[in-house]
Amino acid sequence: MKGKNLACTLIIALPLIYLAVAASERPGQSPQNPAIFGKSIQPFFSENCYQCHDAKLKTSNLNLEAYQNAASLTQDREKSERILYKLRTGLMPPKGVSRPDEAAIKAVTDWIEQELEAADRLIKPDPGRVTAHRLNRSEYNNTVRDLLGVDLRLADDFPQDDSGYGFDNIGDVLSLSPVLMEKYLAAAEKIARTAVFGAEPLKPTLVRRPSPERRIVSSTTPLFDYDLTGLSLPNALHVTHRFPVDGEYIIRVVLGGVRPAGSEPLEIGLWLDGHQVQVQKFDPAGIASFSEDRQDFAGMRQEFRARVAAGDHWMAASLLHLYEGLPAAYGGPNPSKKPPPPPPEFKPPPHLPPQRIEELRKKFEARRSEKVAANEARISSLEVAGPYSQTKGPPAGSPKKILVCGHLDGHHQLGCARTIVTDLARRAYRRPVTPQEVDQLVKLVSTAQLEGDSFEEGLCVALEAMLVSPHFLFRIEKDSPTPTATSIEASHPVSQHELASRLSYFLWSSMPDDELLACADRGILRQPAVLEAQVRRLLQDPKSRALAENFAGQWLELRKLESAKRDRQRFPEFDEYLRMSMRRETELFFDSIVREDRSILDFIDGNYTFLNDRLAKFYQIPGVKGAEFRKVLLTDNAQRGGVFTQASVLTVSSYATRTSPVLRGKWILDNILNDPPPPPLPDVPNLDEAKIGTSASLRQQLEQHRKNSTCAACHGRMDPLGFGLENFDAIGAWRTQDGTFPIDASGTLPDGRSFQGPQELKAIVKAQRDAFAECLTGKLLTYALGRGLERYDKPTVKKIARGAAANNYRFSSLVLEIVKSLPFQMRRGVGEP
Amino acid sequence: MIITRKYLPRRTFLKGMGTAIALPMLEAMAPALASISPATKKSPVRLAFVYVPNGIVMKDWTPSGIGQDFECTRILKPLESLREDLFVLSGLEDHNGNALGDGPGDHARAGASFLTGVHCKKTAGADLHAGVSVDQIAAQQIAAATRFPSIELGCEDSRTVGNCDSGYSCAYTNSISWRTPTTPMPPEINPRAAFERLFGTEDLSLDPKIRARRAQYRRSILDLVSEDTRRLAGTLGPTDRRKMDEYLVAVREIEKRIESAERDNRGLTPGIEKPAGIPITFPDYATLMYDLQVVAFQADLTRVSTLMIGREGSMRVYPEIGIPDPHHPLTHHRNNPEWIEKVAQINRLHTELFAYFLRKLKSTQDGDGTLLDHSMIIYGSALSDGNRHTHENLPVLLAGRGDGSLKPGRHIAFKQGTPMTNLYLSLLDRMGVHPEKIGDSTGKIEHLSEL
Repeated sequence: MKGKNLACTLIIALPLIYLAVAASERPGQSPQNPAIFGKSIQPFFSENCYQCHDAKLKTSNLNLEAYQNAASLTQDREKSERILYKLRTGLMPPKGVSRPDEAAIKAVTDWIEQELEAADRLIKPDPGRVTAHRLNRSEYNNTVRDLLGVDLRLADDFPQDDSGYGFDNIGDVLSLSPVLMEKYLAAAEKIARTAVFGAEPLKPTLVRRPSPERRIVSSTTPLFDYDLTGLSLPNALHVTHRFPVDGEYIIRVVLGGVRPAGSEPLEIGLWLDGHQVQVQKFDPAGIASFSEDRQDFAGMRQEFRARVAAGDHWMAASLLHLYEGLPAAYGGPNPSKKPPPPPPEFKPPPHLPPQRIEELRKKFEARRSEKVAANEARISSLEVAGPYSQTKGPPAGSPKKILVCGHLDGHHQLGCARTIVTDLARRAYRRPVTPQEVDQLVKLVSTAQLEGDSFEEGLCVALEAMLVSPHFLFRIEKDSPTPTATSIEASHPVSQHELASRLSYFLWSSMPDDELLACADRGILRQPAVLEAQVRRLLQDPKSRALAENFAGQWLELRKLESAKRDRQRFPEFDEYLRMSMRRETELFFDSIVREDRSILDFIDGNYTFLNDRLAKFYQIPGVKGAEFRKVLLTDNAQRGGVFTQASVLTVSSYATRTSPVLRGKWILDNILNDPPPPPLPDVPNLDEAKIGTSASLRQQLEQHRKNSTCAACHGRMDPLGFGLENFDAIGAWRTQDGTFPIDASGTLPDGRSFQGPQELKAIVKAQRDAFAECLTGKLLTYALGRGLERYDKPTVKKIARGAAANNYRFSSLVLEIVKSLPFQMRRGVGEP
Repeated sequence: MIITRKYLPRRTFLKGMGTAIALPMLEAMAPALASISPATKKSPVRLAFVYVPNGIVMKDWTPSGIGQDFECTRILKPLESLREDLFVLSGLEDHNGNALGDGPGDHARAGASFLTGVHCKKTAGADLHAGVSVDQIAAQQIAAATRFPSIELGCEDSRTVGNCDSGYSCAYTNSISWRTPTTPMPPEINPRAAFERLFGTEDLSLDPKIRARRAQYRRSILDLVSEDTRRLAGTLGPTDRRKMDEYLVAVREIEKRIESAERDNRGLTPGIEKPAGIPITFPDYATLMYDLQVVAFQADLTRVSTLMIGREGSMRVYPEIGIPDPHHPLTHHRNNPEWIEKVAQINRLHTELFAYFLRKLKSTQDGDGTLLDHSMIIYGSALSDGNRHTHENLPVLLAGRGDGSLKPGRHIAFKQGTPMTNLYLSLLDRMGVHPEKIGDSTGKIEHLSEL
C-alpha cells in the first residue's frame, strides 16, 4: 500500500518542484512605466552627472547622454550596474560637488534595480551544469571513513587541491594529475588491506616535535593566581600530532630552562585533546648540568607512555603548579620542604694568572647574588616513539560494513563474493550498479583466488578497483532522459541518487549514508516533506561539522590561520595554544549556528562565543578556568561578539607586524557585504612601514593614500570599515594605543554614514542584512554546487536570500532554500548552450 | 626475456596467465651489483668521514705504544679485532678551531673547521663563511663517476635556528660538509629519506612473489578502470569528458611507468630493508646510518660520504647505557670523576658502533678485495678535551687500505701541531685529486704507505 502511494507522489512531486521553480522565474514584463525614465531619471542625470559624464567629456568612459530611453540604459548591463553601485555607495557624485538629497538618489537606484531585476526575469532559467567533480582531499577522507570504517586520512598526503571561487570543491578546478593517480592507487591498496586485514604492522620510529620559539618573561616573583594546569603558560608545548595507527606510544618530554636550586621536583602533565592523561614528577638531582647553583634542565627528559587512537591529536605537555615547590625564600605558594642547598664555593681554576682569577671570582660573586628566575623551566620539545603493541585486526566498524554476507569468520559461501561486491559497489559508486559492473569486480576476486590467494585477498583487489574507479573518485551526473525532460538535450532534474550525493557532499563532505541512499532507492527524496526531513537530519548529525571545517574554514578564511606568522618581538603571546584556540572558537561558533539553527545575523553580532582559559584571558574575560571550551555569554561585553571581533578573523586579516585596515575592510566587503573590491592597481606606492607608530599613525598614512582619487574609489569603502576594528591589534587583542598614537576607531563611509568603534560598525553592517544574506547565500550556493556562480544564478541567489529573511534568517532556511533551488535540483541538458 | 605489452595483451592476465608473466619481475629482483662494478674493473677508492662531537676522554683513548706495538686502550678496545686495518693518529691539530681573538664559540668553530681547515666567520646571521670541505673537494672532482657525488648523513636532529654557540650560526654546528664557503651541506637525518634518495620509493620489503602478484592485480585493475572509463566518457558531455580524459592520461602514464620498469631489469638491490623512519634507540639509529653508507658504497652510488654521529654541543642522552645526562654538560665535567667516567662510556659506545661499520665494510666483497680494502675512513672529533675545548692533539683514526696505498695497523704520533688538513691532502692524493691546499694545510704527511 505504501509503495503505491509513493509511486503517486513521485509522479506528482517531480513536476511540482519543476513547476514551482519555473513559475517563479517565468519571464515577466517590466512592471514600471517606461515614462519614468524621461520624467525623473534623465533629469537626475542631467542635473547631477552630465557635467562630467556627457557626450563631450565622457569621464571614465561613461556618457550618460547616450541613454535616451529606459531600454537603452538597462540593456547596457555592465554600465547600469556600475552606475547603481556608485550611487548606492555614495562614491558618486564625488566629494566637493553638491549632493542631491538621499530620497532623490534612492528613487533613481530603486528604479535601476527594478529594471535590472525585470531584465533578469527575461533570462531563460538555467540550472547550469556542474562538471564531473573529483572528490577533494577532505571528501576522500570522509568518504573512505564512511564507506569502510577506515579513518586513515591518507588524502592528507595527496597534493593540495586547487581552489576556485574561494573554495576547494569546484568541479572545474579539481584536476587529476598522474602523481595524484599514483597516490590513489597506493592509497586504495592500503585502505583495502586495512579494512579487510587491519593496519599493516608498523615498526616503531621516532618523531621529534621541536617547539616553535616562545618567550618566557623571566620573573623571580612567584604568582598565586595563575593557570595551575600550566597549559596556557608559555612554558607548555602544544602540537597537533598525527599518530599513524592505534597503539601505544612513548612520549618523551624534553625539558629546558632553569629553576632555583633546592626546588621540589617538577610536575609534568601530559595532555591529549585537552584531557590530562598522566602526571609525572621530575627531579634533576644528580643529573649532569652546566650549573651548580641552579637546577638546569637543558636536554633532560621524562618519558610517558600512552595508548592513542590513530589520527590527529592535539598533544600538549605542561608544567603543573609552576610556582609551587620553590625554595621558601621565594615566598611562593606551597614552598619546598627541601633544606636550602649549601652556597656554591668559588674554586679557582689552576694555572691562571692572579688577575684572571680575580676576574672570575667577581663574575662568580655577581652570579651568586643574582636570584634565579622562578618561572623559566619549560618544555622544549616532544619526541614521539612508537607504535608499540599496535592494535591488530581491522578497525572495529569495518567487517560489518564489508562482509554483509554475514560470515564474519571467513567461511564464505559461493554467492558471497557477489553479495559483498554488489553492496560495496553500490555504496562506493553511490548509486545502483549494473550486473556487468558487478561481474567485472567479482571476476577480480576469483582471478586472485585462482592465483592461490585467499577470498579476502581477492576481495581486496576488487575493493582497490572500486577505490580507483572514476565512479568512486568522481561525482558524475549523467544526462539521462527523465519523466519531465524527454531528451537529454533539455534541462532535467538530477537523478534521485545524484541528488542524494549533492546533499551529503554539501552538508557532510561525504557519501550519502544508508538512510539517504534508501530514500533515493525508493525514489522519494524529492517529496518536499522527505527532503526537508533529510536536510534537517543531516544538519543535526555530527558529520555536519564538515561545514564548519570546510565551508567556514574557507568562507571566513580560517584556514589561513595555520600559516599565519607573527613578529615574535611584537606579539610574544601568539603561540601554538593561542592559534589552536582561536580556530576552535570560530569553528564552535559556526557549528552552534548550524546545530542550534540560529539566525545568520549572529555571525555579525551574536552575543555569545566559545572560550577556553587561554582565549578568555586573551580577551580579558574573567571566570573561565580550564582547557575545555564552553559557551560564554557576551551580553555586557562591549568589545567582542560576532565573527569579526574574533581573534581568528582579526589575525588572518592582518600583517605579521601590524594591523591593516585595508585588509580588514576588504575582508568585510568580500565575505560579509557582498561587495568585493577590484584588485589593486599596479604602481601604487606602498606604505612606509618604518614610519607607522613612530612619525605618523597608520590612519594618517592611509588618508594620504586616499588623497589619490584613483585609490579613493575603492579605499574609500575599505579603509573606514577597517578603521572600525583598529581597537584590535594584529592578533586580535584589545588595545587603546598603537605605538605612541591613541587608537581612533571612527570611520565615515562614502555615503556619509559614520560610526565610532566596533559596536557601531557592527550596527552599520547589520543594517545591510540583505547584502549579507545575499553574500552568504552566494558563498554557500557556490560551495553546495561546486561551481562558480553565473549571471543566470543571480535571481536564484536573491530569491534564496529573501526566503531566508522570511524565516528570521535561520541557517536551516538558507540551506533548505538552496536545496530546493533550481540549480541544486536540476542540470542543464547537453544540447543547450 | 622481457615481456612487454607489445608481445602480450594485458587482458591475458585476466584469462589466467598471471604466473607466466610474473617471471621477468622475479628476474628483476636478482642481484644486479655485478653489472655495476664487474670484478674485472679496478675498484674505486671510497672516502668517508665519521664525526663524533664534544671531544673524547684522551687518557682512555691514546695508546702509549707507538708503531705496530700499540695497545688498544679502553675506548679503542671495541676495535681490537680490526687493529690491523686502522691507524691511530696522534698529534694532529685543528688550529683554526681556536678563538684567535674571536672569544667563546669553540664548538661552532670546531665543527666548521674540522673538514675545511678554515677559521669560520663569527656571525649568527646570513653572512656565513667557512671553507670548502675536503669531502666536497673530492666529490666535485669525481662527481661524474657515480649517481651521487657525495652523501651527507647525520644522527641528530639539527632543526635549531639562529644562534647555536656564543654568537655563531647553527649552520656551523649542523654541517661539517661545505660545498662552497657559504653553502653548508646539511646532513639527512631520516634513514627512510636517505634510503629513498638512494633507491627510490618502491616498497622493497615485501616478498618478491607477493610484489609480482600485486603488480599483476594492479595491472588488471588499471585495465578494468580504463576500459570502464572509456565507455563512460562516451556517454558524457564535453566538459565531463575532459575530466575523464585527464583520468585516462594519468592511468596511461602509470602503465607506461610499469612497462619501462619491466624493461629495465637492472633494478638495484639495496640488501637492507627500507627503513620505516628514525629508530628509537641511538645504537639502532647509528647502525642503520652505517648500513646506508655501506650499501651506497657497495652499489657504487657514491664514493664520498660524511656521517655526523652528533653535532657539536650535542645534548643527546644515552639511556641505553644507563646515562640519563645530556652529553655536552657531562663533557664539562670540571674533573668530577663520575662524569668523566660517563663521557668515557659514551666515547666507547661510539667506537663500538664504528667497529660495526668497519666489520660490515670488511665483510662486503668488492672487486678483488673487500670494501674496507678499497676505503679510507676518517673517524674523529674536532676537540680533544671537551672540558677545556682543546683543538690540538686530536683523537683521529684512519681505517681501510685505500686500495693498497695505506699500510695500517699502527699508531703514528705526528709532531704536535701538524695540521689535520695535511692528512686530508695525503688522502686526496690517493684518489687522484690534487688540490694545492686545503684550508691551513702546509704539505702532505708521510708514513702512511710505508712502515
